[in-house]
Amino acid sequence: MTNSIPEFETDSNCFLIIGSNTSEGHPLIATRVLRAKQRGAKVIVLDPRKNQIGHWADVFYTFRPGSDVALFNGLLNIIITEGLADQAFIAERTENFEEMKALVAEFPAERVADLTGVPVEGLYTVARLYATQKPAAILYAMGITQHTTGVDNVKSVANLAMLTGNLGIPGGGVNPLRGQNNVQGSCDMGGLPNVFPGYQPVTNPETIAKFSKAWSSSLPTPNSPLSNKIGLTVTEMISAAGEGKIRALYVMAENPMLSEADINHTRHCLEKTEFLIVQDIFLTETAQLAHVVLPGASFAEKDGTFTNSDRRVQRVRRAVRPVGDSWPDWEIICHLAGKMGAGGFDFVSPQAVMAEVAQLTPSYGGITYERLEELGGLQWPCPTTEHPGTPYLHKNRFSRGLGHFFAVPFKEPAELPDQDYPFTLTTGRIMFHYHTGTMTRRSKKLDSEARQAYLELHPDDAQKIGLNGSRRVRVSSRRGQIELNVRVTERIKPGVVFIPFHFAEAAANVLTNLAIDPIAKIPEFKVCAVRVEALSGTEHRGGTDHRSGESERRTRRDE
Amino acid sequence: MSERLTALRETIRQILPQVDGVIGLKTGPAGIVAPYLFKPGHPEMLDSLALWPKEPVPDTLKIIQKAYPNARLAIVCRGCEERGVVEMFKHAQVSLENLTLIGLQCVQEEALFCRCAKPYTVHARVTVGSPIAGVPDPLTEAFAAKSQAEKLAFWKEQFQHCIKCYGCRNICPQCFCNVCALEDEKWVETGRLPLPNPSLYHIIRAMHMTAKCVACRECEETCPAGIPLAIHFRLVARDVKEMFHYETGAVIEQKPPQLLTLEEGDYERSGLP
Repeated sequence: MTNSIPEFETDSNCFLIIGSNTSEGHPLIATRVLRAKQRGAKVIVLDPRKNQIGHWADVFYTFRPGSDVALFNGLLNIIITEGLADQAFIAERTENFEEMKALVAEFPAERVADLTGVPVEGLYTVARLYATQKPAAILYAMGITQHTTGVDNVKSVANLAMLTGNLGIPGGGVNPLRGQNNVQGSCDMGGLPNVFPGYQPVTNPETIAKFSKAWSSSLPTPNSPLSNKIGLTVTEMISAAGEGKIRALYVMAENPMLSEADINHTRHCLEKTEFLIVQDIFLTETAQLAHVVLPGASFAEKDGTFTNSDRRVQRVRRAVRPVGDSWPDWEIICHLAGKMGAGGFDFVSPQAVMAEVAQLTPSYGGITYERLEELGGLQWPCPTTEHPGTPYLHKNRFSRGLGHFFAVPFKEPAELPDQDYPFTLTTGRIMFHYHTGTMTRRSKKLDSEARQAYLELHPDDAQKIGLNGSRRVRVSSRRGQIELNVRVTERIKPGVVFIPFHFAEAAANVLTNLAIDPIAKIPEFKVCAVRVEALSGTEHRGGTDHRSGESERRTRRDE
Repeated sequence: MSERLTALRETIRQILPQVDGVIGLKTGPAGIVAPYLFKPGHPEMLDSLALWPKEPVPDTLKIIQKAYPNARLAIVCRGCEERGVVEMFKHAQVSLENLTLIGLQCVQEEALFCRCAKPYTVHARVTVGSPIAGVPDPLTEAFAAKSQAEKLAFWKEQFQHCIKCYGCRNICPQCFCNVCALEDEKWVETGRLPLPNPSLYHIIRAMHMTAKCVACRECEETCPAGIPLAIHFRLVARDVKEMFHYETGAVIEQKPPQLLTLEEGDYERSGLP
């Protein structure tokens, strides 16, 4: 996030929420938005479904999944033609404005309304409100990124924020809401194929020299330089393993057997992997395929830090001893490195690891356990131990100098509905489960809230497929098929269906398309074409679908 | 505030040698305030004694008494927390034996924050600060003045914000049933957000708090959706006072009207099989 979560409550005067089911995915951020609304801030929500935050919104529209770039180009065009752009910001802080302007001129509101399904007057309402209620924050999540045009979507979001001068100020910004408590920290620490910790590129010779020197004792031959080759992303690795290009895969705290697109393909790839190691706190669907399982420790059993969505580094403290044979992840890694004969892994504590992080990572340079103890948290960049941390980025200057407007052409999703697969499937999350359910589906209370997957279907579509009171459907795509219960609801756009992806026994990702974004390599989880067929028999008498599934639950529980 | 803090610290320091521990609030790392058990051997911990923000300390008392039933304890409690301890005693959740109540009187600023009608203790023999009069609750009064239709629309809107986190129930010192109706699928629909309208979730809470709610406002303070929950609990309490002449926390010996207590021989006299 360019900005900070507390600023939403105190500074933001407008929120444009797109591709984020905020109150279910990030309830405490939604709370800040609600409190801001109570003091008069405006809330705009755009989503293929009327999610809960949509109920709070001042302005809400559904739009066709995958039409995001057209939508943004339309909004950019309206703001420019209505004279609502921040001319001073554009002149002083940005470049390439004319090229972007020329492209978005091809997106008059009428065309955008056709492409997105948002009415013309709706586009004007959204554009005017966002452009005039400064500071305005854009909040987004996987609804923006999980597309073959994910990078284009993010560039479009940045265009909108720059056009209105909503960057470098408190309460504004481009704010991707990160899904996991420490996914930001994991990226910060170089958990990406192209960078060292702190986003220092592996292709930079100076960076290579710096890390080669610091880590010389871990290298096979002392003083040999580290590799400057960009590696593979998760999705590419799995396919590469299936093709035999990767022989061993070490999966830590990830459950690709449920979270990857096209799970049948994922299973094929993982089964072909010669050596699969999985490190997790439970025996996940992926761990069940592993040759070796290393039991990790949960958050309550270890010391360390988490870095949350707004770049805030905070301490986590051990409350109980690791259960059974489990170890904290850092100890497993250091032990393994020792067994492999590598030096430099003889850390005595997470604090010692953090000291090295500060030494080698300029943006973490001033973050120490002592300061975290005193202050509770620090937001990077925090280069020195005197630095107070950075609540919002890009004040006065972007990291590259000028902000670059991209002219982003509109591309349709990789797979559109057709005669054989007439519905657009979009996947997502629900309040009561977290990601692949590794933890939450083992919680009795959360399990009783939501025991099964379901399909959201518009009443018109229910009639079209001849549901006739049945509650069970088969959903098929070109990749596979699942059977599940149906919820008929007007909250979803006609022609679009939704499945939460948490449930292994009716996994939405059996259906999803492995088409990936050319740059970020993220699969298109949010759009694929499916067929929905009614199955006979009424599985359940009520609208809620929790009454069966006893046997399913028993087999799932491995404790 | 600081005068009160100094006075409270001195009071605890004097009581500390006579008990096994004193439950109060302490400032921890990064200024975070949490309930803490001050122990006789460590009076220096009182340097970090804190007054605010308040926490549901009656629950802390319950946890400690459950683990150490014979412990001699003292507890720093505000008016609402004293009422909480008294009501929990009536429902056999805590013991008043071996317990010293240290009454902490709220100041005007705190009373206004909580919209509190009784910001003072009435049972504690040891007290710190001077009692002040209650303040009105403008939110509850504004709600009470609404028409029936407006009231319905108000709650309908508010309950749309609920994310069903159970925070209001979990923080409530008076919510202690072993089996909770809110988790019974017969009464409360599962797996749905926003809650269907109507939903019994908040209605059950309101009914189950009848003659139990002590107006501590912990539920409202903890609610991540900002729902002004105290409004309905306070109006229910008003009805209970009028209809049953019962006020929570007021008289230790008075039994709550919804508690049916059988005396010896009652059963035989009842004529039941």
